[in-house]
Amino acid sequence: MKRVITPLLIGILFLILQTTWLSSFPIQRVRPDILLIFTLYLACLFPPILGGILALLMGYLMDLFSGNILGYYTFSRPLVFFAAQFFKERFYLEGFPSQFLFAFTFGLLEGVIILMLMGTLQGVPSGGLFSLFFTFLLPQSFSTGVVTPLLFILFQKGSSLLFRQPEEGLKEKA
Amino acid sequence: MRIRGFFLFRRYTLLIFIILLLLSALVLMSLRAKQRKGIEVSDALLMEVCSPFQKAATFMIDTVQGTFQHYVFLVNLEKENRMLKKKIAELQEKDQQRKEMRLANERLRELLQFREKNSPSMVGAEVIGRDPSSWFKSITIDKGERDGVKKGMAVISPAGVIGQVLKTAPHYAVVLLITDYNSAIDTMVERTRAKAIVEGKGENRCQLKYLLRADEVAVGDIVVTSGLGGNFPKGLMVGEIKQVDKKGHGVFQFAELIPSVDMTRLEEVFIIMEPSLPTQSPEEKVRKGKKTKK
Repeated sequence: MKRVITPLLIGILFLILQTTWLSSFPIQRVRPDILLIFTLYLACLFPPILGGILALLMGYLMDLFSGNILGYYTFSRPLVFFAAQFFKERFYLEGFPSQFLFAFTFGLLEGVIILMLMGTLQGVPSGGLFSLFFTFLLPQSFSTGVVTPLLFILFQKGSSLLFRQPEEGLKEKA
Repeated sequence: MRIRGFFLFRRYTLLIFIILLLLSALVLMSLRAKQRKGIEVSDALLMEVCSPFQKAATFMIDTVQGTFQHYVFLVNLEKENRMLKKKIAELQEKDQQRKEMRLANERLRELLQFREKNSPSMVGAEVIGRDPSSWFKSITIDKGERDGVKKGMAVISPAGVIGQVLKTAPHYAVVLLITDYNSAIDTMVERTRAKAIVEGKGENRCQLKYLLRADEVAVGDIVVTSGLGGNFPKGLMVGEIKQVDKKGHGVFQFAELIPSVDMTRLEEVFIIMEPSLPTQSPEEKVRKGKKTKK
């Protein structure tokens, strides 16, 4: 139960930070998605079933405070989670460059999923969406990637404190 | 045979789980699209749980930022600047109202209606959070159903139109900003009275659509609400035209619009509690029909 409730509460805390503190940053394009980083961390540490449910809940929470009418994140977050679970063995997740690349890639992947959903379900013209890829998606994924190594260190410290498993970390799992 | 089936099921458990989870996400999306009561209740319940923390966090951030801005960096200048900005916004609003009054006077038949529509009952609300994703544009406010806030109500500021109420909880609500891709409001060009629909373009920009090619519009023209949508009173400032696109063929021309309100700096907003007119423009009917179809 602790393994479900604790990440969920941490997720809510990150969501609040994302909607308040991070939103007060002057440059919105480089606002990192800390909830996505947390989902990626869950993909590295949690089993698929429990982690998948948590990713779905994270997406649901995102949609709750978001202006998207249909709730794309409820769909995209579990998808990103399972993709990250599948590829985590193929990434050497120690050190800044690999962790940056890991988050950057999945940031882009989620962005593409959202763009595709917006294009197909809402009929947003693809021309406008294509320009968003360069003006918005790349800078945001980049900033998410840059923050990831720092947050992964914090998550590792936090999880070893919370679950009393200091030996279990990213190195052992990945 | 049964044992074999059981082993096959165990082998594909994870795959079945992934498919089921993604299907449940799609079901949730479909329920949201149909605006089912159950999902709305669960959304409202979760918002009620999370929003007080959001409000507390906003208060803490504002306090910390305020301390730095007011006492550490600029002791009096910041206060004076804010006061002057407020004054400018008030004067702009007054100027806008005066312009509208002058135009309305020319058309005597509309004078009374115009006055009625420009004095609706409003409720003030504080912005306690913003959209967690940068793709969509929305804000969370600290007024909800208990304060009389309902879905679709217009949200404005002294500088102009902000958006419409999208989701409601007993004490909180989410407002869809006019810059969001999902937003569409009925407007007209103040100078020529040409009707058009303002749609969001993601960032702090909007697009003027369904504007007839024959209608005269120019860069710098002010766009105001037409009052035909039913939610917004007539004559509220929406923004200023920055670019006109007459390229290509067809019945319509397009224009880019810069909203009069800086959506990134919203702190307090007003919710209009009384809709102006129950009528709906044909353009919006077409648009709404199109959106529902999709």
